[in-house]
Amino acid sequence: MKKHLVLLTLVVLILGGLVPAIAAQGSGDALVIWADDTRAPVLVEVGAAFTEEYGIPVVVQQMGFGDIRDQLKIAGPAGEGPDILIGAHDWLGELVVNGMLAPIDLGDRAGDFFEPAVNGFTYDGVLYGMPYAMENVAFVYNPDLVETPPATWAEVKEISAALKDEGAADYGYIIQTNDPYHWMPMFSAFGGYVFGRDPETGAYNPADIGLDSPGALAAGQFLQGMVEDGLIPADVDYDVMHTLFEQGHAAMIITGPWALPRIRESGVPYVVTGLPGAEQAASPFLGVQGFMISNFSENQLLAEAFLLDYVATADVMGQIYAADPRPSAFLAVREATEDEDMQGFIAAGENGAAMPAIPEMASVWTAWGGAQELIIRQTVDAETALTDAATQVRTLLATDLTGMVNVPGSYQSQAGCAADWDPACAATAMTDNGDGTYVLTVDLAAGDYEFKVALDGSWGVNYGVDGERDGGNYTLSLDADSTVTFTYDSATNVLTTTVK
Amino acid sequence: MSAQSTAVRGPSGLLTPVVQQILKLLGLAFLDVFGILLFYTFWYVGQWGLAAAIAIITLLVNVVVFVPRLYPVRWLSPGLAMMILMVIYPIIFTFTVAFTNYSDGHLYGKSESIALHGRVTYTPADARVYQFEPFVAKDDPSQLALWLTHDRGDGTTEVLWARVDEPLQPVDTDDPTPPEEFEGFRPMERSELFGVIRQLESGTFGEGADTVSVTSASRRTAARAEQRYVYDEELDGITDRVTETFYAADNEIGSWIAAKGTAEESKLEPGFFVFVGFTNFTRFFSDPALRGPLAIVFGWTVAFAFLSVFTTFVLGLFMALILNEKSIPYRKALRSLLIIPYAIPAVISILAWKGMMNPNIGVFAKTLGIEVPWFSDAGWAKIGIVLINLWLGYPYMMLITSGALQSIPTDIYEAAEVDGAGSRQRFWNITLPLLLVAVGPLLIASFTFNFNNFVVIEAYNKGGPPIPGTLTPAGYTDILISYTYRLAFGSGRGADYGLASAITIVIFFIVATITLLNFRFTGQWEEVSKNV
Repeated sequence: MKKHLVLLTLVVLILGGLVPAIAAQGSGDALVIWADDTRAPVLVEVGAAFTEEYGIPVVVQQMGFGDIRDQLKIAGPAGEGPDILIGAHDWLGELVVNGMLAPIDLGDRAGDFFEPAVNGFTYDGVLYGMPYAMENVAFVYNPDLVETPPATWAEVKEISAALKDEGAADYGYIIQTNDPYHWMPMFSAFGGYVFGRDPETGAYNPADIGLDSPGALAAGQFLQGMVEDGLIPADVDYDVMHTLFEQGHAAMIITGPWALPRIRESGVPYVVTGLPGAEQAASPFLGVQGFMISNFSENQLLAEAFLLDYVATADVMGQIYAADPRPSAFLAVREATEDEDMQGFIAAGENGAAMPAIPEMASVWTAWGGAQELIIRQTVDAETALTDAATQVRTLLATDLTGMVNVPGSYQSQAGCAADWDPACAATAMTDNGDGTYVLTVDLAAGDYEFKVALDGSWGVNYGVDGERDGGNYTLSLDADSTVTFTYDSATNVLTTTVK
Repeated sequence: MSAQSTAVRGPSGLLTPVVQQILKLLGLAFLDVFGILLFYTFWYVGQWGLAAAIAIITLLVNVVVFVPRLYPVRWLSPGLAMMILMVIYPIIFTFTVAFTNYSDGHLYGKSESIALHGRVTYTPADARVYQFEPFVAKDDPSQLALWLTHDRGDGTTEVLWARVDEPLQPVDTDDPTPPEEFEGFRPMERSELFGVIRQLESGTFGEGADTVSVTSASRRTAARAEQRYVYDEELDGITDRVTETFYAADNEIGSWIAAKGTAEESKLEPGFFVFVGFTNFTRFFSDPALRGPLAIVFGWTVAFAFLSVFTTFVLGLFMALILNEKSIPYRKALRSLLIIPYAIPAVISILAWKGMMNPNIGVFAKTLGIEVPWFSDAGWAKIGIVLINLWLGYPYMMLITSGALQSIPTDIYEAAEVDGAGSRQRFWNITLPLLLVAVGPLLIASFTFNFNNFVVIEAYNKGGPPIPGTLTPAGYTDILISYTYRLAFGSGRGADYGLASAITIVIFFIVATITLLNFRFTGQWEEVSKNV
């Protein structure tokens, strides 16, 4: 018995001595790249050439596009992750919050890239990716059924009605029942938006939710109008939409470059063109795809050099384009694009805005899609559906400060706040009267004061003079020490001041 | 080693006991090494729980092999090991996570978070950014040096010679062009540079306060690099040396927060995970955002699980009874055909049904003329989902009830016939009670399964159609698991594993309670069987 134990211990010790050696191999010399199945073959080729030239092995590990993000969260911290990964710009919020990405400095090479694509990969002012492609939806119509592409949504409606009356097709324009990504072009054309943007930095502001903004309601009502006229069917998903279009039952759809292969294969005549506008030009979501460098990589300098010196060339970027055509983010390739369909997509994306990459976006899709579905199914009217959706998003994003009505201003340090102009100071939070008005009473010394109304403890939504959103400051001059009562009416957003 | 001392009592085959013994030891040794490798890996990356589980399993396997008394357990040990790893460990893990704020932005421990921030470097505003040219020693390829140049801006150029751990050495020249040779070093070819980038990345050139590191190999820049985020143990916070902001650790919520409670409040991401007590549970029960449509969802969950079991059982039993009749022709072929829905992956079946039911292109509406709003109407969507689940589930019920029917002794039926009982009486008084005794536990298992049948709900209509006017997005066909899945992973500010774990535990207790009650109920049937 003992002999066995001794023997076992010996064998285990000998083999165990190999363990650190085996374990160390994991962080080996190779440059590891995670890529999806369309990009992987291109990178394998590029990697082989790189290895040949410099003797540094490049390992391309292929996985599903969406899996890359999930796997990085698991493998990265464990030291098993890649040096370089392929991904979409709207992953940034989640990945940066978890500290998973290393910044990339394109230096003077930034000029080789399409600027909106570079901006898409910029998060909180830091660049985290080198873009290779962009994608956005465009307007696709059947030229046998539609002579001239509609320039406005009103025309889309007219053409749809005419096609239906003539019996030329079952439907004119059709849209997925629950897919706000494809609804965004119509939504934005009427002035609807998801998150407001900081006018200076252009960063999305999660406190400003635009699902129930006047433009959004207008878009919802337009959609409702089309549904009520029997022009838009319910129960349409991506496949149904494409099947109806490809069989000639529907004349107009909005879709992206990923759908081109199936449309071409179906043999239906089609033209890809820019998006119809309304109050303003349609602004579809832009998606940017690119290479990112893992923060857990031991080879960050090498990875950056590989990307900048080896991948950011017209040749490799051209190969990536050829493997899965969508508008390139690399200017040399983008400008050389001759494909008419691709030019249609480029035209449609000209006025686009990068899809919000902030983590708060996760709260939006289900609520927003639900509103779209409720409108198309005519369960409730557009205004109710969108107002409810906005409430749902606000509830999901609620913080402890949600619901707070505050009067930030230059008086606040007298009222027990740490500093002036603090929209989150508890000492100057207004009390809810229960009838839609809020009140705050403070004792102030003689002097001149300025203030505004801010909601939810942040500047995201604030009202100035006459209840104007982001309006001017209220002013108040006191000749003597006084007791000041502020009253805020949430119906008009106006603040009234009484002095005693 | 002698054959006499062996403790093996297994069957002796072609191999002599000695060889058997050696093979056994070798096998065990390999298993142990594998265990140590896993243990080492998990320990190294900070997965202590998993490392402990592996250690326990490896130890148990050794004990089982070496203690003769435990010989029978040996054949169970792979199963037991898998159970510890796949069942017990995840349960403990889930319970632990439920009491933490483990979520996006809080995925690391505090020390890991500090270390992660500590890796970030920056170039101070007063530091010079140099262009570098890499040099390598002629006689020793591992010795590297940098030829640094810096345009002073007045037409002259500062030139420095930098080697690892030696003071930076000014070069007395105005010509920034690197020479062919310098102090026994030669300039590297471009192709050589890639091979040494890793070496450049880890090395610091210069000495003391005067150092430079390579900041970009592609642009060939080097500059002094300093740690950007510095942790102060006494103040328990991190200072950002670029913006001079102090982020104090908030150990209650696991975040680094600057200027807390003011408009300038900002967080340094990522934070760290901390134990938060029952916060996740109280959130689930008290937060209006989560509670919202919970009652509606819970009601439908119970109804869905019950209806699924009931309908599949009734249809399955009916089929089994028919196929049990000896007079039915081609019984075997029919039975095989009826099993098919069970053999096809559920997701494929659901997608096929979905396509057929679609009012725009589906065969139901277009060919058969059955225009039913299967997806848009709350009632019809529920009916549709129960119908699909019936299609998916009846073959299973048919299988288990056919088996149970065979086990009912025929003499009881004969006795009943003698007593003058009709076929209906025989079914209600003999077949059903005896059947329920046999399949009762399986029905409960089926109920539990359908209570959490995420796949069917998600694949059919993603829980839709949406319920209008709720505080959180929810659909009429959402069950607890699909509703909370979307809350925990698809909303707020990213994935919230802590909340998801808490909800899992709540659902577990609900299902456990229902199951216990059900067992009580089915216990009555066993009374019946005793008295028959």
